[in-house]
Amino acid sequence: MDLMSVPIGNYVALSSVIFFIGVAGVLTRRNPLIMLMSIELMFNAANLLFMAFARVWVHNAGHIFAFLVITVAAAEAAIGLAIVVAVFRSAKHVDVDDVALMKG
Amino acid sequence: MVHHVMGVDGSYPLLIVLWLLPLVGAILCWAFGPQLKRLAGPLGSAMIGASFVATLLLWGAGTQTANGALGAHQSLGSWLPGFDFGLLLDPLSLLWTCIITGVGFLIHVYSIGYMEGDNAFARFFAYLNFFVFAMLTLVLSDNFIGLLVGWGLVGLASYFLIGFWFFKPSAVAAARKAFVINVAGDVGIMMAIFIIVASVHSISFGDAFAFAGSYGTTALFAICLCLFIGAAAKSAQIPLHTWLPDAMEGPTPVSALIHAATMVTAGVYLVARCAPLWSQNGNAQVLVATIGGLTALIGAILGTAQWDIKRILAYSTMSQIGYMIMGVGVGAYEGGVAHFFTHAFFKAQLFLGSGIIIHALANEQDVRRMGGLRKKMPFAFLAMGTGVLAIMGIPGFSGFFSKDQVIYGALAHGYPWLYALGIVTAGITAYYMCRMLFVTFFGEYRGDVDPSSLGIRHPELAGTPHGDDAHGHDEHHGTNWFLTVPVAILIIPTVFIGWVMFGGENSPWSHFFAQQFPHPTLAVPALSEGMTAIITLVVVLIGIGIAYMRYATAPALSGAVERLRIESVKMPGVLTNAFYFDAALDLLFVRTSQWLGDAIGRFVDPHVIDGAVREVAFSATWFGALVRSLQTGLLRAYALFLVFGVACFIIYYAVVASGAH
Amino acid sequence: MLAVVMLASAIWCITATRPVYSVVALLLHFAALAAMYLTLNAEFLAVIQLIVYSGAILILFLFVIALLSSGVAPFAVGPDRIPRIVYPALALVAIALGFITYALSRTTALATPTGTAGGNLGPTGLADVFGSVGDFGKALFTSYLLPFEITALILMVAVIGVILLAGDQTPYVPSCKQASENRRDMREAVLRGGD
Repeated sequence: MDLMSVPIGNYVALSSVIFFIGVAGVLTRRNPLIMLMSIELMFNAANLLFMAFARVWVHNAGHIFAFLVITVAAAEAAIGLAIVVAVFRSAKHVDVDDVALMKG
Repeated sequence: MVHHVMGVDGSYPLLIVLWLLPLVGAILCWAFGPQLKRLAGPLGSAMIGASFVATLLLWGAGTQTANGALGAHQSLGSWLPGFDFGLLLDPLSLLWTCIITGVGFLIHVYSIGYMEGDNAFARFFAYLNFFVFAMLTLVLSDNFIGLLVGWGLVGLASYFLIGFWFFKPSAVAAARKAFVINVAGDVGIMMAIFIIVASVHSISFGDAFAFAGSYGTTALFAICLCLFIGAAAKSAQIPLHTWLPDAMEGPTPVSALIHAATMVTAGVYLVARCAPLWSQNGNAQVLVATIGGLTALIGAILGTAQWDIKRILAYSTMSQIGYMIMGVGVGAYEGGVAHFFTHAFFKAQLFLGSGIIIHALANEQDVRRMGGLRKKMPFAFLAMGTGVLAIMGIPGFSGFFSKDQVIYGALAHGYPWLYALGIVTAGITAYYMCRMLFVTFFGEYRGDVDPSSLGIRHPELAGTPHGDDAHGHDEHHGTNWFLTVPVAILIIPTVFIGWVMFGGENSPWSHFFAQQFPHPTLAVPALSEGMTAIITLVVVLIGIGIAYMRYATAPALSGAVERLRIESVKMPGVLTNAFYFDAALDLLFVRTSQWLGDAIGRFVDPHVIDGAVREVAFSATWFGALVRSLQTGLLRAYALFLVFGVACFIIYYAVVASGAH
Repeated sequence: MLAVVMLASAIWCITATRPVYSVVALLLHFAALAAMYLTLNAEFLAVIQLIVYSGAILILFLFVIALLSSGVAPFAVGPDRIPRIVYPALALVAIALGFITYALSRTTALATPTGTAGGNLGPTGLADVFGSVGDFGKALFTSYLLPFEITALILMVAVIGVILLAGDQTPYVPSCKQASENRRDMREAVLRGGD
């Protein structure tokens, strides 16, 4: 389990599939929290890819970048949740479709 | 590229003066008409008179020969290589210029008397001078473009003058008809110019003719055909003749100058000028000659059925020009031009004489209401009589010599059927001209007779308004010198000018044109010229005899009213409708273009053109609505677009990347 | 096998009816992801992943779910208003990603990036080995110092943003007595039915 016996293509495939699942989640679900979670999924898919290639090339730039991605994702999640809280604080249902304030 | 110039190149200021004086006269009469009032007449006449004098002074220059060049050439500058403009005075244009300015001068003087009392006196002279200028442009140009400019301008002048009394709707309609048909001819000439320029890269006559042998048969025939379309339109040949009878709506001097002596002969001039082109192509010659002959015949036949004195003369003009065209068509250029020369005199004579009658009878033009004028207006009778004798070709009078040249020329150049046609037409000409003479001048005056008993269907249409003319009915006022003097002067050439053609090859006429036209050697025809003259004379006498029997015998004269009425009523429809040419042209062209315009107005305009504009507006609105529908405000929809864009990006880079590899 | 777990948990996350279930699924996903990082010799990142991501961010999610008291609420009512084009779009994205996957998997020679040389591999747990804390720290504070500082700035911005967006909007009051008086006035106003 330590060495690279798994070909790189598998990691690329896995990463893309998870990314795709994340996209589907963003588009399909109406609960804003689940949308945010799907976005986290996408971040992680990208991270996985970074790590995999860092291992292939034995270069720690991938690690650094993945670390930064995690940090930014954390910040973004915090702000996203703050927005959700601000918008839906007094709402009855938590549905993004109701918030069609950007119409027009 | 060598530039061939016909004529001795040089500086001829008198030529330019000759050409431009009428224009000056026209501008002066136009601009200062109200101030000039009655002076416009003498002013205009003086301009033309001066031009005539200039022409005589340039006689020597016009007939000079040097190094194979004939005549005088004045260059007017060059616009582009190959587009050189200039004036050419060679025997042909010299002859035409003499007629235009000479007969034009006489008619100007006549008009001073004829148009007296008309409100638009000055305008008339402005138009007449303008016409003379345009005609001079036509005959004096040494290139096709100048010819075309003159061509168009005479058409315009004709439009002005036919519709001179523009408050008469029939005059306006006639003017329009003349102009439209003339424009159709202009197109023909333009096409010919295109072909010539494409072949020779030059518009001058010299270059075009020097190249004559190398156009190729089709191109040459096309050029000749297109030129002849123009000539036919201008010279009232079949089938473009329908405007000429209607053009008689204009004042009589106009009819005399334009539609007898000069403008309508422009077609003859064109064919004679382009003789080098026509000589190379036998088919074109056959075409021209045949149409000329047919026109002569049909014009004569229709002339027998007319009751308006000016219309009789109009059809006779058409017929005589048919002779001229036939003459230049068969290759007898000198004969055709000779007939033009004599015709100018006697036709102007006839028209001016009839003008005297019309003027005296307070604009009565229907011959059925005339009669017995031999005693009342002897001078008019003398004038008309000499004109009729000339046109019939009675030996000794001018018409005899020229008509004979044409008819004999047809035989000599190998067109026996045209020869026969010419003789027959001469007989018919004699018939209807004598008919006119007898009905007008013999018997009792019928002006007091009730019009309907004479067979006149529309008495109210008789006569033309004449401004604020103050002549009463039947008033034969004192001799108006302006009217009589020109006519008297014209009697002389009408009778005697033919003698310059006497002598065949050795006549002054032949010498004059010795170098102008090609002279191919011809086979000796079966009938000699003398025989031809005798045959023609016999036929003419038969024609006179028939006319006499119908109109001038004692019983005919006494029962004139009844005779005329029966004849009017029984006139065959074919003749009264002029062989239905008008109806045919109306159906073919007028109706179709009206229908086309109507269809376009009803379908194309609202649906296609307006529709296109509406579609633009509609599609703008629709597109806006479409874009607006994207602004849903739905968060997920926006996310969707994001994803969609990313996907496109990815695919694009994947494809490009894999392509780059 | 880890891949299977990851996929299954991801799918469960987005399809779960209740948000709390989604959070749990995501936790499972992150755990599997951390394990996968370990197989890639990235022990430091694996730990960071567990601490930051699953430890902090998911807890934050849970807090918000609880705050909005929609933790056990069913789906929101109303028709689904997303345009019909979502499914073709999803298909398009899938195709795109699949294409990239395919393309990348077929490349045999992947060029190594230039710049700082790769570290040395070694068994997990040793210091200064590729993927260890020391190696990572050395890189972070030398070659990549600028991104590190900028990240700090981003975090500060995030904190300020959160406070502004979702913070308490009551105005600052100098003393506690004043604050309690304000509260009493607001209560009376609400009871009176105004404001």
